Amino acid sequence: MHSIVVEEFRSYYSRLAPRDLEVRDLGRRELAFLQFGEQMMIRHMQFADEVSLRDHLVHKTPAHLYYSSAYYKEPQAPDMNKKGWTGADLVFDVDADHIPTTCKADHDKWKCLDCGTEGAGFPPESCTSCGKKRIETTTWVCEKCLDAAKNEVLKLLDEYLIPDFGLSLNDIEICFSGHRGYHLHILTENLKVLTSDGRREVADYVRGIGLDPKHHGFAALKNGPLIGPDIRDGGWRGRIAKSIYTYMSRCSTEELRTVTGSESVADMLCRNRDKILKGITLSPPSWVGLKGVELGRISRIAKASVKDVLCNIDERVTIDIKRLIRYPNSLHGKSGLKASRITYNDLERFDPLRDAVAFRDGEIKVYVREAPRVRIGNHEVGPLKGAEVVVPKALGLYLICKGAAEPRA
Amino acid sequence: MLTREDLAKYPFVRKASSFIEGYGLTLKDLATPEYSGIVKRAIERVRDSIEGKKIVTDWKDPETEILAYPLALAFLYGLKAGWVVRRFANAEQKRCDELLRMEKDQKLVEIAKDGFGWDLEQVEINLEGKRFNFSLGVKEYLEVAPQFHSAEWKLVNRHLLRGIVLLKHNEVARLISESVKNKVVKRAAEEEVRKFQIPEAFGPYVEEVMKLVERRRPLYDDEAPIELVEEAKPPCIIAIINDLAAGKSLSHMARFTITTFMINVGENVDNVLKLFSNVVDFDEGKARYQVEHIAGKIGSKTKYAPPKCDVLKSFGLCVGADALCERVKHPLLYYKIRAREIARGVAKAKGGRKGA
Repeated sequence: MHSIVVEEFRSYYSRLAPRDLEVRDLGRRELAFLQFGEQMMIRHMQFADEVSLRDHLVHKTPAHLYYSSAYYKEPQAPDMNKKGWTGADLVFDVDADHIPTTCKADHDKWKCLDCGTEGAGFPPESCTSCGKKRIETTTWVCEKCLDAAKNEVLKLLDEYLIPDFGLSLNDIEICFSGHRGYHLHILTENLKVLTSDGRREVADYVRGIGLDPKHHGFAALKNGPLIGPDIRDGGWRGRIAKSIYTYMSRCSTEELRTVTGSESVADMLCRNRDKILKGITLSPPSWVGLKGVELGRISRIAKASVKDVLCNIDERVTIDIKRLIRYPNSLHGKSGLKASRITYNDLERFDPLRDAVAFRDGEIKVYVREAPRVRIGNHEVGPLKGAEVVVPKALGLYLICKGAAEPRA
Repeated sequence: MLTREDLAKYPFVRKASSFIEGYGLTLKDLATPEYSGIVKRAIERVRDSIEGKKIVTDWKDPETEILAYPLALAFLYGLKAGWVVRRFANAEQKRCDELLRMEKDQKLVEIAKDGFGWDLEQVEINLEGKRFNFSLGVKEYLEVAPQFHSAEWKLVNRHLLRGIVLLKHNEVARLISESVKNKVVKRAAEEEVRKFQIPEAFGPYVEEVMKLVERRRPLYDDEAPIELVEEAKPPCIIAIINDLAAGKSLSHMARFTITTFMINVGENVDNVLKLFSNVVDFDEGKARYQVEHIAGKIGSKTKYAPPKCDVLKSFGLCVGADALCERVKHPLLYYKIRAREIARGVAKAKGGRKGA
């Protein structure tokens, strides 16, 4: 990596106060470093306190710094079985890469390694021209992607973790990942010992995996009315009721035909639309508008309805009980941005491309090979191809870290 | 209040341990003729579980019943056979489940508290005609429920509010009895228990059970090695192999699954590597290192097992179950059963796979 990046990272760490590196129980975590230009991670590191960690970062400045979600008796033991796992934070990872947004067409590209076909946006499963699956991608993030990621985080907190799991904001740390998304660290004491299987259930809960609306109140009583959940209910019951309400108020007849697999049922539902919507809001609710519709079809409608309220998280991170995660307030080697901690109250206003900027002063001349429109702070460049530009330091370093530019004297 | 009869029924609770401690008996004391009744009952519990007989609680003599339980566990662990521990644990689960279902709500609360430290609470909530009598913290619920495979036990299909899960009477019985089973199995892995040897003095009593273990081993010990049978692979594994052949770049989980699966059914590292050779970012050196690591040849020397069906489902790697899939929870078990069927020449005769 270019020495200017290493020097700027070093200077950032030397300015950092030790308390900015505070994490719960630092001494019981494994730390890992990826040095500039290296491919092998330096693992199994242990630091007794923030001061010694800060000194290490200044002397051996890494491109990436990670810490374990797990707590160990002996974090420095190279054999995972000898570390003595005692628990782990519950972690959620929201990554803009996993969320399909329309802006991807503006800044992402894919290329088939077999026939050379290129395209813009979210990469296809297989090449659109030769059908082969060896596809290379170049991805960028913009405000829209990062906003989509932030909305996922807010949804996760406001719709699931706080009301359903009863978690307290005091136990939740929100971090920008420094590049494309956010991490939530749940520090609740009694959840630390959750097994990987238990964590998988939590991940499936927020992703709606295995959701069966039949277990959430729908039942056809013999010779009686169809009963169903109440929008005032908590948990998945209320969520299903609310989602069906929203869905039924906006879906087209066409869509309903596909979802229910029956023209006559879809047509009947559309004729009864007002009655259905009114019934759902009653207390207790009346689902009589759906009477005669098989439970299997109602389930399909419910599943189609909840699509927008599911959380788009990277489940691997949540399930893993020994994950290495980016260290809060460290710099991300692929962006030069800071993995900032954010309070819940600031999250709404948080603009990662401005608030996570680590380098404030100065300008830099860079040669840009290729980049889409990019904004850092209040400065914008691009799209650029084969151009030399003078830009604010943070923007220049961002382009260099992304691998799209190199410094020019 | 947990009575002496309760302790006889549920000897895993802490109160039962204090009851036993009150006698101040050592293992050696129990080997004397004076306590032969207890030893016989302990042996009987182990034997019946191996033979698959129903374990019946002896109400009339609670003392013997309570004292025989830890001794039965000692014999069990001393036999040094994982499958015997699992059979005993399963038998205990069934026995407890039946009894717990008949208990009053308040009793279940006490047993859960004393046995596992759970803060089970009595509630009275009706939701669309279903009555829930209990609430349990989500953390406690997740200690056990992920082991169950029907949809109703998935957390996503539960009423979860402010960290509390609602439960019915029989569901609580199931959670407690399953915890009993887990406790028995988990203890077998403890250092102290692994080192434990049955004292010589019990020789005459134990001899018969040891013979029984030897006779039954071929029937139940599923740790016996298996051979490579191409046609026995489950649909999920075949799908990954097809993707690899097409040169598709796979997720880490897919790579891990195929590697662990192939290694566990006895494939060698070179042949596993060949599967990956079409992949876009194939790097032989790196891949070899990773495969050898997973095979337990280098690094921590742990040989990894492939993920179970639930995990594969979560990761979108389950490609839709065939008839056999519906009966198993793990791709290796699918493979073992199918391989056995093929060896016996029954797979085709039975019609094999659904839809194939």
